[in-house]
This record gives sequence, C-alpha cells and structure tokens, in this order.
Amino acid sequence: MAAEYAIELKNINKSFGSVAANKNISIGLRRGEILALLGENGSGKTTLMNMLSGIYKPDSGSIFVDGEEVLINSPEDSKRLGIGMVHQHFKLVEKFSAADNIWLGAEKTGLFLKKSRYKKIEEMASRFGFEIDASKLVSNMSVSEKQTLEILKVLYYGANIIILDEPTAVLTVQEIRKLFSVLRKMKEDGHSIIIITHKLDEVMDISDRVAVLRKGEYIDTVNTADTNQQQLTELMVGKKIDLNIERVKTEKKLPLLEIRDLTVNNDENAVAIDHVNFYIRGGEILGVAGIAGCGQKELCEAIAGLRPVQSGMIIHEGENIIGWTPKKIIEKGISMSFIPEDRLGMGLAPSLSIIDNMLLKKYNDSKGIFVDRVQGKADADRVIKELSVVTPSANTPVRLLSGGNVQKVLLGREISSGPNVIVTAYPVRGLDINSSYAIYDILNAEKRKGTGILFVGEDLDVLLALCDKIMVLCHGKVMGIVHAHKTTKEELGLMMTGALDYNDEKAFGIAKDSRINEKTEAGGEPNE
Amino acid sequence: MNKTAANTHSHVKEPLIRIVKRDGLKLSKLVLVYVGAILLAMIIGCILLASMGVNPFKFYEKMLTIGVVGNAFPYKCFEGYIKLFTPLLIVSVALSLAFRMKFWNVGGEGQFIVGALVAGWISAIIGESAPSFLVLILMSLGGAIAAGFYGSIASVLKVKFGTNETLMTLMLNYIALYLIMFFGETKADWNILLNEDSARPIFKTFFENAWMPVIKIGSFSLNISLIIAFVITALIFVYLKKTKQGYELSVVGDSISTANYAGMKTGRIIIRTVFISAFLIGLAGAFYVSTAHSLSTSVTNDVGWTGVIVAWLSKLNTLAIVVTSALISILRYGCTQAAAEFASVDSHFADLLQGIILFSVLACDFLTRFKVIINLKRRKSHE
Repeated sequence: MAAEYAIELKNINKSFGSVAANKNISIGLRRGEILALLGENGSGKTTLMNMLSGIYKPDSGSIFVDGEEVLINSPEDSKRLGIGMVHQHFKLVEKFSAADNIWLGAEKTGLFLKKSRYKKIEEMASRFGFEIDASKLVSNMSVSEKQTLEILKVLYYGANIIILDEPTAVLTVQEIRKLFSVLRKMKEDGHSIIIITHKLDEVMDISDRVAVLRKGEYIDTVNTADTNQQQLTELMVGKKIDLNIERVKTEKKLPLLEIRDLTVNNDENAVAIDHVNFYIRGGEILGVAGIAGCGQKELCEAIAGLRPVQSGMIIHEGENIIGWTPKKIIEKGISMSFIPEDRLGMGLAPSLSIIDNMLLKKYNDSKGIFVDRVQGKADADRVIKELSVVTPSANTPVRLLSGGNVQKVLLGREISSGPNVIVTAYPVRGLDINSSYAIYDILNAEKRKGTGILFVGEDLDVLLALCDKIMVLCHGKVMGIVHAHKTTKEELGLMMTGALDYNDEKAFGIAKDSRINEKTEAGGEPNE
Repeated sequence: MNKTAANTHSHVKEPLIRIVKRDGLKLSKLVLVYVGAILLAMIIGCILLASMGVNPFKFYEKMLTIGVVGNAFPYKCFEGYIKLFTPLLIVSVALSLAFRMKFWNVGGEGQFIVGALVAGWISAIIGESAPSFLVLILMSLGGAIAAGFYGSIASVLKVKFGTNETLMTLMLNYIALYLIMFFGETKADWNILLNEDSARPIFKTFFENAWMPVIKIGSFSLNISLIIAFVITALIFVYLKKTKQGYELSVVGDSISTANYAGMKTGRIIIRTVFISAFLIGLAGAFYVSTAHSLSTSVTNDVGWTGVIVAWLSKLNTLAIVVTSALISILRYGCTQAAAEFASVDSHFADLLQGIILFSVLACDFLTRFKVIINLKRRKSHE
C-alpha cells in the first residue's frame, strides 16, 4: 500500500463515433488530497470520471487503484474498489425516503426492510458530521439536501475515493461554503476527492492541486498554491482572455415592460410566480437570480404568452399584453429565448437546418403557400457570419452543432427580428468561456441600441458584472431588487434562500414614471 | 470493505462483446448493408424452401420476375402487380405525413376500409344512373373525406384530451373491420351493397360506371389510379419540402414546445395533417375497390400494416418510399405468383419470407448505428 496515488489513470483513450472525448489522458489522485479537474464544457471531464465509475469503458489505457491495475466493467466493480461518484444530475428515487435510497444499493441488507435502517443511517450520518432526517422523502428535499444524501450514499457504500461532478452548480453561496467544509472534513478523515468544476474561485478555494483538460487532452497539473485564476484560464482555454465583463452605461429611458402583481401557475397548477412586480427600462439589463426552478421558466413563458396568467398585468409600452397570442407578442417586439437543461427543448427545432430555424417565427410573413427559404438562407448566412457560428453549412441540422453554436443561432435569430424587449434565460448555459463572452457582447450591443433585457442567469458573478439591477426570486416571490454595483454575492445568496426579504422594508418593482395609466389619462408622454 | 479493496478486484475480466456507437455510414455502404440483409434473408428462405422439396432458385426466379417469365399472358402479371403496388404507395406516403409529425397513425387499415366502404355505397346508389366520371369522382371524394373524418377522431381526442393516438387508431381499425363484416353478412332490404340475386350474402359487383378506367397499351391495361398515385406522391414531396404547412408539421414533429413558442397553432396543425393522411388512405381504399370492381372483407390486403413498415424502412423519405413500396410489392406479389406454381408452398410463405427480410433489414439497421467489438484476447486484472 505504498503507492503514492489512491487512483491513477494512464494513457486513457475514449471515442464516441469519430469524436475523441479523451485523448491519451494520464492523471493521478494522491491519497488524502482534493484534486480539482478543470476544463471547459466538452473537454472530457465527465467522460473521464464516468470511466472510473464504470459507466463507460476506456478504448485503451489502464487504471490503477492503490498501485494495482484494475478493470472497471460496471458500476458494481467501481463500488467494490471504493470509488463513489456524485453525479451532476442526482440519481435518486424521488418517491423513496433518504434511508431507502441508500438501502437500495447497499449490500447485505436482508430480505425485509426493518425500521432500524433509519437509525442506522442517521447514526452513520452524524459520524460524518451530517444531519439528515432519514425518513424524509427525496421529493420533499431541497437541492442541497439531495446532494448531501448523494454524498452520504457513497460514503455508506464505503467509498474512499469520491468524485463530485459539478457539485456547486445548483447551490447558493452559503450552501457551497457548507459543502466545502464537509469536503475538507472528509479529506482530514483520509478520503481522496476529485471535484469537477469550471468555476475558478472555487478551484482556488478548495483544491490542493488542479488538473486541466482541454478538448479531450490532458494539459497540466499544478499546485493550487502556486497558481492563480488568470493562469488557470489560460491553461483551460489555451490563450489569454480578459475575464472582465463590461457593464455598458446607457441613458435612462422609459419603462418598456412593466409587470404588475403577476401570478402564474406551473404545470402542476401550483403557484409558481406569486404577485410579482418589476419593470425593465429601455437600455437596461435586469438580472434574475434564484435557485433552479423557483419560477424563472413560468415567468418567461408568461411574458411570451405561452402560459396562462392567473392575475396581474404585463404592460408592454403601456399596453396590457395578457391574453395575446404568442404570435402577436412576437410581432409587438418581445423576444423570448429560454435555454432549458437539454439546451434544445424550446426555441429551436433540432432536426431542422439552420435555415429552417431562422424562419421559425417569420415563415408565415411571406406571401403564398410556399416557405421563402431564400430569405432564410440570407438570414442564416448573416447570423453565421456576424456571430461567427462554426458550421459546415447553413443546411446543417442544428442538433449537430456544438452547444455554443446552437445558442448563437438562437440568439442570432432573436436579435435579427429587431426586438425591443429581450427575455433570455440561461443564454450561456453550458457554454465555454469564449462563447459566453461572445453572448455577453451581443447582449451589451442590444442594450446600447436601447433594448430592454431580462437576463435570467445562474452564475452570480456574471449577473453582478453584466446587469444593472438584479431581482432575486425565492419560491416565486420577489425577495428584492438590488443595484448590481451595490450588492454582494452573499446578499444575493441570502435572498435566494429566503433568509433575507426586503418586502417588509420598502416597496419596489413599480416605476415612478410608469406608463400604465398613460392611455387612460391625458395620453401625453409622462415627464421623465 | 475499504481496506480489502485491492484484494477483491482480482477476478475481474474484460467483457467478450462490447457495443460502440459509430457515425453514420456513407450511402454506398448503407445500400451494401441493406442488400446484404436481403441476401441473408433469402438464404434462410432457400433453406426453408429446400427443406420443403422446392428448388429455391426456380422459386426465387419466379418471385423476382413476378411470374412474368414463361407466362402466356405476362401483362396480367403487371396488372396484378400494379393493383397491389398502387394502394401501398399511397398509404405509405400518407402515413409518412403523420409519422413525420410523430403522430403514430396505425389506423391505416380502418381508414382504408372506411374509404372503400363509402366508395362502395356511393357506387351502389348512383353507379347505374350517373355518368362514369361523376360516379368515380364522387366515390373517390366520398371515400376519402369519410376516411379523413374517421382518422380525425383520434387526432381530435389527442389534441383535446391528450389521449394516446396509437391505441385510438388501433381500436378504430377493429370498428371499421367489424363494420364491413356486418355489411357483408347482413342480408336486408336496406343493404344495397349485397348481391340481390344471391341467397347467400355476398358483395355485389360494381356497375361498370364505377370501374376505374384504364389506358390500353396493346393488351396491357394501365390503371389510371397508378398515375394518380404518382401525382399524389410528387405533390406530397413538394408539400413536405416547400410549403408552409409542410414546414409547420416538421417543426411540430421535431419539438412541439418550439412550435408553440413560435406561435404555431399546434392543435390545428395536428388535426389538419392527420386529416390529410387519413384522406389519402381513404382515397386509396376507394381506388382499390373501384379497380377490384367489388368490396370484400379482406379489402385492405394488410396495406395499413405494410404501409407502416414501408414508411419506416424508408425513414419517411418520400422518394425512398416509392422504391421501398415497389420492392415490397415485388416480394408480396411475386411470392404469391411463385407459390401458385409450386404445390407444396402455401401463399402464406410470402408473409413468412417478408417477415424474415424485414427482420434482417431492421437488425442491420442496428449495425449501421453501432459497432460490435468482439474481444477474444480478454485481459484479466492481476491475480
């Protein structure tokens, strides 16, 4: 047991079809260290880790555990070797309790489910310093509770090598801090940990060493103490990059979109957006922060006319657009683009070509019964050129493009229709640094033109840097609207969990120069 | 468990067979794979035929030439072939329309029967008195529209109540089938579909005005419905590729949430497309009875099912549907022709052979998407 590494990968190769996901990668995880695996999306981090957890098999190369070569053919093998993985998308049975989710994969549990399992698991949890209610159903758990359960699960199965795939993506600042202290404690107990992330500040905070992958290739491993964020970015991207996001200054304009007392239900008919007030001016970016699934989707869909509104008003340039068809709202100049988790679900038709996707909202504008693909081709060529979309041709189906290019096509189409309000949710979801900055530039250019932008984001650093104001949602309620240059990540985090609520202190979300009564009153332009 | 980890993994072996995803094949290789699949199926057929004491080469010769060789009336074979091919082509094209929208219309059988039944009824009412072209147009339109509405039952229910269209269209098949059996077996004054002169209930032969016209080329009669079928195919090709409605149905099929997002009226698009699909199938039914000059309870000849297979094998590509339905028709018609020649082979052998061919083609479809790696030199981890 004298081997230096708890786990070592040597010359690992893995391809999917003609795409090489991992090229000759060699990485070692020292005993009792936290190794950050850093790389942009599509750099092969998850693929590599999935080979350790037995989901994929390498095409070639060897894996050593405690200095001995091993073969991992299945998740069972991986478990036996003491490797545990916490996946980005939790693998839990929603209808089971915490204890039963652990029991599900445990060995030697006997034929019958005994009451004692709850106690056993709670005891074990407290030994590791966790507090959980073992009989609580997963469906009633918050995201961070689910994650705790996932970690407990691998610990219970006896893992001493723990892999966490983007564990912080769904957590608030406070929850991340808690997670990190748990990880440090696990490290002290002798566990070896690999953490996948692409957030540099977290890497600097938690890791002992950083291994960097780029486009499926291994670049380097550096000691965290000897490096900085700028150097890591260069390793990750392969070139120097300015990490500052510009906040464009514009003149104050009239409110373009005003939301007054809006209530919207979700698919289960529960309240998703609860008496919400806010407004967006021309030339302004309003950020929306919140834990995933706290009403962002329903809000976007309500504005686009895709979801019925229970009560309240959506006023666009002084006109209430509630009850309008999506088509009419598009024509009025409101563009909505929502990037769901699968990134293709809404806004694009994945099997259709770029040309056809360009035509999605205006195919009906041409005369006659035929689709005007000449126009579509012109649009597609322009977007490809202006936003430098990488594609074999304009006829390529959108699903064959890489994530960044898919999102450029979507935003490109939305902008080319010349909207005055852009509602965009997660436009940089899953994008690499270069593409993300390209998208920020596009939004800033629109802002300069006087477009009002609602930006639903997940990365607080980006929201803080890009937006003028940030609205924080918690369970469908607005906790407050704060100026981006005056607030902090901590404050936003507290608001996201509902611990900080400005509702009692002051009224917000109603513009002084509101245009809501403009028509019914004198009809003239109100004074700024 | 942790401390013994190094000892417990000593008996792990690499698996013998692995399946790996591959990129799409080139067209030439793809064709080669399919030809290989058909050959494989025919070799299996060879063994079966030989075991029944039939010379497989003679059988296949007869089958592939649809019985033309050595026949005193070869044009009859072509006429029979066309009678089988025409409805299959129209039905497959019509089904592909619904399938492109991911509406799984497996109700081709029922819609075909409804089209045939209504056409038969119209011919019984006006076939004797009205001029031929009027009879034919009314029969075709009547059958097609009736089938269109019949198919719409499933689509309207799906749009309004979210019912499953596969179950609905499947059940509607049986309603239509028992309906035509009811008309075929119920001797009554009102039942104008039956032959009045016969004591037993049998469907009567249509009046001559209701017969599908033919173009005489020598002794060969070219059925007009074949030409119409090709025109329909061409129109649908253009409809799918060029028109706004075709564009709409592709978007709905690809992502219904995207279609809603773009402001399309998805419910209307689904109902409209399924109506057109069922309309064309009903038209094929009307054409068929007008060509056969009579109704029958087995009027569909399984075309509703075969059409599903043709549409799938062709990957919903309109041009591929023409080729595939022509080939499947050769198989089906050729097999019955060949079976007639050899006493020991039942005509059902055609179905059997067709099943084997389809099975091997679908199996090869798997090979076009995945690579199977057999690892004979399996590594073991250290003892």
